[in-house]
Amino acid sequence: MKKLLIWIALLAPLLTLGLFALSKGWFYPEPFPAQLTPEAFSRLISDTRTLKAIIDSLLLAVLVSLLSLIIGYPAARAIGTQDFPAKKYVWLAIFLPTVVPPLAIGMGMSILALQTGLSGTPFGIILAHIVPTLPYTVFTLAGVFARYDENYEYQALALGASPTRIFFAITLHLLAPGLAVAGLFAFLISWSQYLLTLLVGGGRVLTLPVLLFSAVSGGNPTTISALSLLFLAPPVLIIAATARFLGENPNSVHERI
Amino acid sequence: MKRLIFALLVFSMLLAACAPKSDSATADFDLADWDSVLAAADGQTVTWYMWGGSDSINAYVDNFYGVALKERYNVTLNRVPVADAADYINQVLSEKEAGVENGAVDLMWINGENFFTLKQAEMLYADWAQAIPNSAFVDWGNPAINRDFGEPVEDLESPWSSAQFQFIYDSARMDADSLPRSYADLATWACEHPGRFTYIAPGPGAFQGTRFVKGALFEISGDAAQWGTVDEALWDEWSPKVWDYFNKFKTCLWREGETYPKDEYELHSLFANNEVDFSITQAIVGAGALIDEGLVPTTSRAFVFDNYMIGDFNYVAIPSNASNKAAALVLANLILDPEFQAAQVLPENGFGLGFGIDVTRVTDPDQVAVLEDALANLGEAATPAEDMAKSLVGDAASPYQSMVEEGWRENVLIGQ
Repeated sequence: MKKLLIWIALLAPLLTLGLFALSKGWFYPEPFPAQLTPEAFSRLISDTRTLKAIIDSLLLAVLVSLLSLIIGYPAARAIGTQDFPAKKYVWLAIFLPTVVPPLAIGMGMSILALQTGLSGTPFGIILAHIVPTLPYTVFTLAGVFARYDENYEYQALALGASPTRIFFAITLHLLAPGLAVAGLFAFLISWSQYLLTLLVGGGRVLTLPVLLFSAVSGGNPTTISALSLLFLAPPVLIIAATARFLGENPNSVHERI
Repeated sequence: MKRLIFALLVFSMLLAACAPKSDSATADFDLADWDSVLAAADGQTVTWYMWGGSDSINAYVDNFYGVALKERYNVTLNRVPVADAADYINQVLSEKEAGVENGAVDLMWINGENFFTLKQAEMLYADWAQAIPNSAFVDWGNPAINRDFGEPVEDLESPWSSAQFQFIYDSARMDADSLPRSYADLATWACEHPGRFTYIAPGPGAFQGTRFVKGALFEISGDAAQWGTVDEALWDEWSPKVWDYFNKFKTCLWREGETYPKDEYELHSLFANNEVDFSITQAIVGAGALIDEGLVPTTSRAFVFDNYMIGDFNYVAIPSNASNKAAALVLANLILDPEFQAAQVLPENGFGLGFGIDVTRVTDPDQVAVLEDALANLGEAATPAEDMAKSLVGDAASPYQSMVEEGWRENVLIGQ
């Protein structure tokens, strides 16, 4: 019963979006659209601009998550496994981007990007996205490392394994669920980034959120719903695909041995 | 250490790969020699930043200008849809601050608010609007054209289309005879039908709401022309009466005037879902393009009051640091071509705003026929042409824009 309610709570908004996306001129007091038409979807899917926006958004988000993991890994490992002076302040520095309003840093980043020639380039946008994603990857991974037992690595070292082998055979294996969760966080944040993309991209890189915001400003419920569903699909699919990892407690690395 | 150097190498290679490609030296052109502009534009991509909220306007731009630019001039149109014109104004201003010479924006669709900002910042490419060939069709002597929201245009922007304030009603719900035909009528109507009327809150980015209040200022003071220049004494005399007018029927409004829709599309939605009985539009086709897009019921029709319906023009401008000025000029010129001016007023093409040119200046008989044919096919959702012409007035001088917005906020929204 409880499960059913949760499913309804999760699916009802999606169904409403779906109905709006398939309707045209559906107004109160009609309980249902007079006719259902996939017109909005076929228009979006045949539009090269939308397709390109989807692909670009996906590529950006994937690259941002990978880079966030690579950059966040050493910091998270140090914070999670070591005690050192001024640890609190390192935490604070890493968390600052989540506290400062994005508009404040966005305007500065926009000028910086223009001065360095990174404005409007995918690389500039990736750098900009890493700013808000990094705190989340570090936070998630640090939590994993806090319960991580480095003795497995020492054991392998004592048995003569090379550092590379240890990393892939032990570390990566033990951390996989945590890395997946951290990467997913970074993906979701990058995927839904509007302001930074617009400010640093200057309209030269059109991602799905940029198209979505532009459509929302026009108030056409059919287009907005159809675009929203396209926007929702990748995160939902990815969460479904990684549900195996998410189901486990990402902090418990011991159980996997 | 070796690994670190390797990582740095990869990083710098990435940087180099992603750095913006410098545009192949912008070919020189002489505005007086149009062929040199066409030659310079050949092969360029023109990046046009415009509000992108309307599917039908987007489609019109791509299908008409985009296709023609490619076929006739080998120019590629890159339309950048933006949620709010202020976004690209910021882009241009940021580029100025950073000293960027090859800007991202080649052409912008702007109205008076943004025009004023960019003119003040001196970020507009100058002395071109009257030099492009099709500007011969533009009536530059008309104060409604050579001033944008009251601000002198001074050859810094070129008209695209015209707009006039109108109301929309649903002919299935209301009879045309029972429509209010003046602001005085409207207040009476609103209190006879409590909660069935509202208007867009005047403010930056909501010029339609400001325009609605200005119309009341014109009617109450009994003359539109006197507001063409700023006169503090006149403002002090009439503005309190305007706030009185709005406050008197405030409680008769939708949600008793405690809140107002923030833009045209919110009002369309309230109207379409039968919460209020009127919406507004600026389009020459009235409700036509909105019906096609499924935003309002198919029985929607446009109408105007007997007087004081403000009309004006909207424009395209080129930033002074645009990378592809020649292509932007070609596009601005194409927009004024009688063929496309005729296409833009037809409701089925999705744009629906009025002519930017003065049709009496077109002499080619074929083009005249096309324009006349377009005017005869504005559709039944349009306001009758004679009603439009009879009620048309020009906008007030530009400082009144913010005076109306602040005054309304203090005296109507917050006050009393």
